[in-house]
Amino acid sequence: MAAANGKVLPWPAVPTPTPEEVYAGLSDQAKDYPLFLESICRQEHNFEKPEALSKIRVLDCTTTMTIGHWCSSQLAELGAEVIQVEPPGGDPLRKLTPFGRKQYMFKDKDSGEEVGGHFLHEMRNKLSVTLNLATEEGRNILKQFAVHADVIIENAPPGQWDEWGIGYRQLSQINPRLIYCWVGQLGQWGPRKDKPGNVEPTGQAACGFVHGTGDPKEFGGVPTRSALWMADHVGGTTAAMGILAALLYRENVSGKGQFVEATSAEAIIRILDYSWAWHSMDGSIRPRFGNWDLAINIYAVNPCKDGYMMVGGGHDRLWYRIWRVVGDEYPAVEDEILGDPNLREVADRLAMNQQIKTYTLLCEWLKDNSRADAERKLSKQQVASGGVLYVNEVAEYTHFKYRGHVAETESPHYGKILYGTTPFIQHKTPGRMKWLGRPTGYDNQDVYRRLLGFTREDFSRLEKAKVI
Amino acid sequence: MATAPTATKQSFEEFCRTTFDPKKEFGKPEALKGVRVLSMTQYILGPSCASYLAELGAEVIKIEAPRRGEAMRHTTPFNEPFLYPLSKWIPERGTGLGFLGANPNEYFISVDFHRPEGQAIVKKLAAKSDVIVENYRPGTFDRWGIGYRQIREINPRLVYCWLGGFGGWGPGRVRASYDILGQAQGGNFGMTGKPEFMGGTPSKHTIWLADYWGGMMGALQILAALYWRDKVSGEGTFTEYSQVHGVTRQLEYALPLYGRHGITRERWGNWDTQLCVHGVIKTGKSSYPNSDNPQEQEEGYILVSAYTDEAFAKLCQATGNSALASKYGKTEERVKAESQVEIYPALEKWAADKTKEQVASTLDAAGVNNQPVWNSKEVASNPHWQERGAVRWLDDPTFGDLLHQGPAYKLSETPPRLKWAFKPVGADNEYILGKLAGFSPDDLRRLEEQETI
Repeated sequence: MAAANGKVLPWPAVPTPTPEEVYAGLSDQAKDYPLFLESICRQEHNFEKPEALSKIRVLDCTTTMTIGHWCSSQLAELGAEVIQVEPPGGDPLRKLTPFGRKQYMFKDKDSGEEVGGHFLHEMRNKLSVTLNLATEEGRNILKQFAVHADVIIENAPPGQWDEWGIGYRQLSQINPRLIYCWVGQLGQWGPRKDKPGNVEPTGQAACGFVHGTGDPKEFGGVPTRSALWMADHVGGTTAAMGILAALLYRENVSGKGQFVEATSAEAIIRILDYSWAWHSMDGSIRPRFGNWDLAINIYAVNPCKDGYMMVGGGHDRLWYRIWRVVGDEYPAVEDEILGDPNLREVADRLAMNQQIKTYTLLCEWLKDNSRADAERKLSKQQVASGGVLYVNEVAEYTHFKYRGHVAETESPHYGKILYGTTPFIQHKTPGRMKWLGRPTGYDNQDVYRRLLGFTREDFSRLEKAKVI
Repeated sequence: MATAPTATKQSFEEFCRTTFDPKKEFGKPEALKGVRVLSMTQYILGPSCASYLAELGAEVIKIEAPRRGEAMRHTTPFNEPFLYPLSKWIPERGTGLGFLGANPNEYFISVDFHRPEGQAIVKKLAAKSDVIVENYRPGTFDRWGIGYRQIREINPRLVYCWLGGFGGWGPGRVRASYDILGQAQGGNFGMTGKPEFMGGTPSKHTIWLADYWGGMMGALQILAALYWRDKVSGEGTFTEYSQVHGVTRQLEYALPLYGRHGITRERWGNWDTQLCVHGVIKTGKSSYPNSDNPQEQEEGYILVSAYTDEAFAKLCQATGNSALASKYGKTEERVKAESQVEIYPALEKWAADKTKEQVASTLDAAGVNNQPVWNSKEVASNPHWQERGAVRWLDDPTFGDLLHQGPAYKLSETPPRLKWAFKPVGADNEYILGKLAGFSPDDLRRLEEQETI
């Protein structure tokens, strides 16, 4: 956190409470279940436990795009040995930093090499190896790697690897147990298959997500992309699901690998809920509806005194509780809502006009209430509510700090780094963070010697020829 | 392996088209055949998690409250479209489309968990299952005697997956959550949308992203746990997925930047903070000026992507922006915030008298990557998505013809697939409870009359 004098304060700025403080004053019965969960789930016990995928080796050969990196970092958090294969000089993503500002990059204390925070955040638990697949010799090395890998992930332009003789058709001959996964934005086949250079948010724009996000035009809104390369995160998650399903089938049934294909656009098409069915029923085109919801009222984010506030209550019990809270300060608003016959039935409240009326009146109350005040009052009535948090607030949010959603690591290369931890909380085989990124080619010695038996001579020859 | 004898003669694209042909899905085996999942879930986060396993061939049994079923069945856009009947008891009502997409391929039974007899049914099913997915408030199932502590005694091989907003322990454990709250508090909401100086506000990802994607993260963890059980230990486990935690995991450089420099990542609208040109611009003309649908009357939007120096030079030439070409020819100049503020408006000025298709065809001809911002109709009718089965017609056994999303990803040997959209509440009571709980028709009748099922 930046103090007024520009100095960055240590994290956390406010100490995290202890379990004794969190559960103080509760009866033994009330404490029993959360303390049981803490005993089996707390992340401080992670390293006492085995890893689900520790027998699995993944070769992630994707570059320039985050879908593959996201996929393999999920597998790495679950214990797989992930070898990140980058072109010599490193993945171009290493160089990305907001607005090109080099001062925001992280510098390796030994070599002075810089890396952007985005790339670093997804390189957790991975080994960094360089290999130039544009050379014949590099491709021969990849074929040797394929013998040792359970999973290979690549995102080259469609057909590139096949043409090079290292595609699924060829590698599956070398290693029939190999699970070969291609990831991309729109696909490696079909009339609009991927073009070189396609990266997110291409996927977001091609699936209906961007068109459907943001305020309606009447409210001054435009189609809106996610700030994140979000479809890559979703697509990478589906790729990892496909890989693990293939792995289970290999182990339990067939003994053989298969070909997996996942795209960021199709991952979002899958989860664009009712858009397609609705369109087929009456021709409706999913409209933008901003921070409200087409299918639930109350369920929205609206402006409040010090920012933006989420209030939710789709069914009657919560609806009346919300208006009771509002009525404590604005009895006329509560009367107006409860007296409106068109707002009495849950279903009737969904129409556009009713939503406009609901939220206009709710904002009367929100404008006097800060996020904290509104949440405190609504929580007493067990209404789901909370403010929109900015990153500085996320990093300091008590519940998140206590559970370890955000943590700081001391990297041997880059010093202290704040990062988002794996959400794979578990009893027996939890996900975990072991290290956060390595300099380019840092693990060449280890990996090439251990798996392929490279000698000093091999290293010097291949480095000179720019193969590794 | 899919390698046919003639495969080497086939072009790669043809090979892929044959290998991943959605029409051939039903001729291939299923990856999770023989895996039984109990889905005791509501809304989207929990249900979607189980449904991804159902697409892979698991036998997913969704257990709902008798008669009216779960809350999401009563949720539909503007209260307009419904699929009938809701259940055999309430045929005059339908299921809202909010339910669709989160429950495909599942078997639907109804059980009232509040009653001891209902809890006994759950225990009988759990003894024969591999996975439980539930998203009730933390500790509720424990109190009812059907939580992880009790079920692991009955069936130590079971993977018990709880999903929810804030997790079952810690100071915020009692807070209720929904997708939108997960987004708001996890951090992606505050970063999305235009910044204040462009007149924007924090913006929700319009799909129930934290729910639907959170369900995937839950399913991923379940698959890993099944692998560990089958290949390594023989033991089940307990997994806890907090959707707000998931959202915080995906904030890219935001946390490292804040931790090192105390700088809070802000909104940057439809542009990109790390690449330029790589943003969505407005094209002045609608593609469908004569349509009576306001969605189609609107101006077009298109993603223009020319972030390398070479691509940017092509873009400038194609759009007649020679001044920009010389001023911003270098990546590090172009990506600066103050440069972006000048570059994108210049592109929008060029596009002001064009439709998004006209812009796309100019850029295609110049070799500049682009992607028109398609609405849901344009996606649904696009030959690319139709051929790949991303959006497909489903001849649903209960509800008839429906346009439906296909599975998100493709597997050559054991493809995930779509069998049915969902079924009415309790539609499989007889089949599932007869098969797994040993109930006779008389038992079922009595339980139905009592509304235990």
